[in-house]
Amino acid sequence: MASVRAVLEFLADSTLKTGLPVPVPMEEVYSWAIPLGLPRSGRVHLYTGALYQLMPYIERLGRYLESLEGSRSAAAILRLARALIAAPRFTRTLLSPEPQALERPRAILSRIARFLGAAGYYVAYPYEGDLYSGVLLYDMGLDDAFAEVASRVYRVLKEAGAEEIVTVDPHTTHVMRSVYPKYVDGYDLEVRNYLEVLAEAVDSGRVRLRPRVREVVIHDPCFYARYEGIIEEPRRILRAAGVEVREPRRSGRMTYCCGGPVESISPRLASKIAETRLSELREESKTVVVMCPICYANLSRANRLGLRIIDIAEAFDVEV
Amino acid sequence: MPPRASRSAVLRALREALGPGKVVEDEEIVRLYSREPEGLEAPERPWAVVFPEEPRDVSAVARLAYKLEFPIYPQGSTTSLSGSAYPLEGGVVVSMERLRRIRSVSLVDSSVWVEAGVRIDDLNLELARRGYMFPVDPASSAVATVGGAINSGAGGMRGAKYGTMRDWVLGLHAVLVDEEGTTMFLGCRTLKCRQGYDLVRLIVGSEGTLALVPDAYLKITPLPENIVTAVAFYRSLGDLMETVVDIKARGIQPYIMEFMGENSVKLAASYARAPIEAEGSMLLVSVDVNREATERVLGELSGIMGSRALRVYTARSLEEAEEKKLFQVRRGLFPAQVEHARRTLGKDRVLVIIEDIAVPPSRLVEAVELIREASERLGFSVAVGGHVGDGNLHPAIGVDPEDPEMTRRAREWFTEVMRIAIKLGGTVSAEHGIGTLKREGLRMELEANNALKALDIMRAIKRAFDPKGLLNPGKVV
Amino acid sequence: MTPEEAAEWVSRESSRCMFCGFCEAACPTLPLGPHRAYGPRGRVYLAGLAARRGELGAEGAAGIYSCLLCAACVERCPARIDIPGLVRAARMLLAEGYARAPGMVPVRVL
Ligand SMILES: Cc1cc2nc3c(=O)[nH]c(=O)nc-3n(C[C@H](O)[C@H](O)[C@H](O)COP(=O)(O)OP(=O)(O)OC[C@H]3O[C@@H](n4cnc5c(N)ncnc54)[C@H](O)[C@@H]3O)c2cc1C
Ligand code: SF4
Ligand code: SF4
Repeated sequence: MASVRAVLEFLADSTLKTGLPVPVPMEEVYSWAIPLGLPRSGRVHLYTGALYQLMPYIERLGRYLESLEGSRSAAAILRLARALIAAPRFTRTLLSPEPQALERPRAILSRIARFLGAAGYYVAYPYEGDLYSGVLLYDMGLDDAFAEVASRVYRVLKEAGAEEIVTVDPHTTHVMRSVYPKYVDGYDLEVRNYLEVLAEAVDSGRVRLRPRVREVVIHDPCFYARYEGIIEEPRRILRAAGVEVREPRRSGRMTYCCGGPVESISPRLASKIAETRLSELREESKTVVVMCPICYANLSRANRLGLRIIDIAEAFDVEV
Repeated sequence: MPPRASRSAVLRALREALGPGKVVEDEEIVRLYSREPEGLEAPERPWAVVFPEEPRDVSAVARLAYKLEFPIYPQGSTTSLSGSAYPLEGGVVVSMERLRRIRSVSLVDSSVWVEAGVRIDDLNLELARRGYMFPVDPASSAVATVGGAINSGAGGMRGAKYGTMRDWVLGLHAVLVDEEGTTMFLGCRTLKCRQGYDLVRLIVGSEGTLALVPDAYLKITPLPENIVTAVAFYRSLGDLMETVVDIKARGIQPYIMEFMGENSVKLAASYARAPIEAEGSMLLVSVDVNREATERVLGELSGIMGSRALRVYTARSLEEAEEKKLFQVRRGLFPAQVEHARRTLGKDRVLVIIEDIAVPPSRLVEAVELIREASERLGFSVAVGGHVGDGNLHPAIGVDPEDPEMTRRAREWFTEVMRIAIKLGGTVSAEHGIGTLKREGLRMELEANNALKALDIMRAIKRAFDPKGLLNPGKVV
Repeated sequence: MTPEEAAEWVSRESSRCMFCGFCEAACPTLPLGPHRAYGPRGRVYLAGLAARRGELGAEGAAGIYSCLLCAACVERCPARIDIPGLVRAARMLLAEGYARAPGMVPVRVL
């Protein structure tokens, strides 16, 4: 039994005070970009919203909070939040996510940045300004906190000179494109998703791709497929790379959720849904391609079938 | 008669017999089991909802109901549309939703053993993997449960060819509300069965008033090798019906034969976002064929349908029909009826009243004319559609639930449509059942047939099964 | 949107629901939950209840918080009701204190 209110207050508190839903040093979010030397200012910014980078923490936190049983848990959770906000370096020690779970998103993001470059889409990156979008606060109905977070994120991006942002995951894409305009006065950022950019570049022949896997079954994330209508783009990209794309029974607009969104409320419910989805995916291929860090985390955790789960950015390379 | 037990005594006994996880008394949750589409709300809130997980749980509830004398209401997905599933007098709702195992499938025996809470689409998904199907497909098949379909005697699009539930139930477990909560297997596991009086057929369509059904053996049939489909639009309903006559005269037995009147066609087409130019009345016909006969049959069918039509669309296979969205307009009937009601009333919240009469197909044109006249007279704009193959019509009107005068007119309309059915030699309910909404209609129909005594016989049957009158009281008879 | 405006919208949007249940067929959480509150038909009704009554019990709140906002249900709804929008708005009413709910929400899994 989780005290929903306490979990929500943790997330809201941390996001408001640190810009991240789980308090960690900001380098955890932007260190991946340093070796690439992405410029700090420019018209088009790559905005990750920190979701890829923080998923390993968010996931661990859910489990940790669940283990805090008992009637005093709500108060205990809040005390914990305060302590970690004061000393974000301690979060890593407390939650101790697997090193490779932290490494993988960094690699994925740097691949994405390179794809964009190959497509001639040169992006700037806001580094310390790559704050969390607050999407979870929005989903949980914490509108006041979300509105505050949203204006701050917008202000930081504008200060970095951004007129357009390129997003990399479905939740951030949706919230920046379709929700921010309702919460931020004068919101004027153009929002493109990297799969849209890449699909266009592939169609026009500006980029050539080659496969890293032979065949995959595709798992559409709900927020791309149903909220943002991004369905054909990943397929066009994979096919152009020469990857054989197989469709599960429920795909495209009719896709089936990975279960991840309830992870912080009920890990058990989340993993049962993931199991259902995995057994459906397995009928088409042993390699599952996902496009969202939440899908990745939730499906991987429930993966007792020995499937190989990869992010779409790991399924192909650009030809140079 | 001993005094009925108190609410707390009943709940205590249920929790003891079933375990606490299967008894829910939270007021808000109980409300979710106290209503049906069309705005029917329980006049008196039931005490609890119980969720049997094993057939023996069903028997335990029945035994307690008998002993402590409280009414019980079996429920599937409460989509009956006849008011047969919602509770009337307090008591306890028995939701079958957790009984949802497909126990076994036997292709050799052409049968499947399923629990009551399995939804028809889920059953078909499982059967399709093996090249088989369960052909009774109410428009609500995505939600309708096997137990609900059995007990409401459901039919569907494929009714003209495959009949209704009564043709597909081989046998079932029946749990009686008696001293023991007696569970008995009625009928057979074989296709042929002559077991004295046919109690299985008596329970099919009994709307949960005779016995609780935890599981059943259903007949299954192979999926057709291929299905061709044609959709045509006609300026008049007369042209459409002439076409139906031609199809039948050629000896074609359609797999599906559906029609929609012009009011619903346009809206349904726009709802379905189908690339189809929809105008006038629509006829949709599918025929199952051997693969080799595809071109020949489709040619013949589109020839017949095209001779009077404004335009015809065809598909060589189900996949092609789905791709061209040929079924989408028909599937949009219910949403279209809702949308139609909303537009004509200019309101967000509307009640959509869906009728369910059947007349001999030869009288369909007349029936539609009379229904249109009656609707106009009573001030309603009607949207009609239905299964032409078997003469089953679902005219619908929209009602503003906050307008008592309109609600009264709607009741009059409901009765008038039933009167039309009786006058044309039809029946007041083809597939949704009697429930609470059509008890008067049932009486009217039997009276017209000089068969009022049948009502006495039905009541006697009810007493034989349920002597204390505790099972779904207030329904059917 | 203020909580008052949200409550007004929730009440109107949820009252369009016909209670047909078509949405339930697509819902990942319904078959795993103990009752209808874990499916879209129940959530729509409960959201409306929270808006009208200004409170929601623990079982009902569990239904509201266990929703994935995945929108699979919307694809099946003949009335095209904004089901995830209603769930989210109900959470907002609870979070902003417009509607009261118990602190502990017992999300149950069968
Ligand atoms: C939009 C719409 C379209 C529809 N289209 C059709 C159609 O094309 N054809 C058609 O025939 N019907 C149709 N219906 C009506 C209805 O959906 C069907 O009759 C369906 O089979 C009912 O299933 P259910 O699970 O909802 O049953 P419920 O409504 O829950 O129950 C129906 C009756 O069966 C009883 N019952 C349920 N389960 C059991 C059990 N296990 N043991 C004993 N009694 C039980 C109930 O007490 C009640 O009397 C439609 C309904 C809607 C809302
Ligand atoms: S959005 Fe919520 S109610 Fe709708 S299908 Fe997803 S989990 Fe179920
Ligand atoms: S499908 Fe739409 S109208 Fe029907 S119960 Fe669900 S939300 Fe309500």
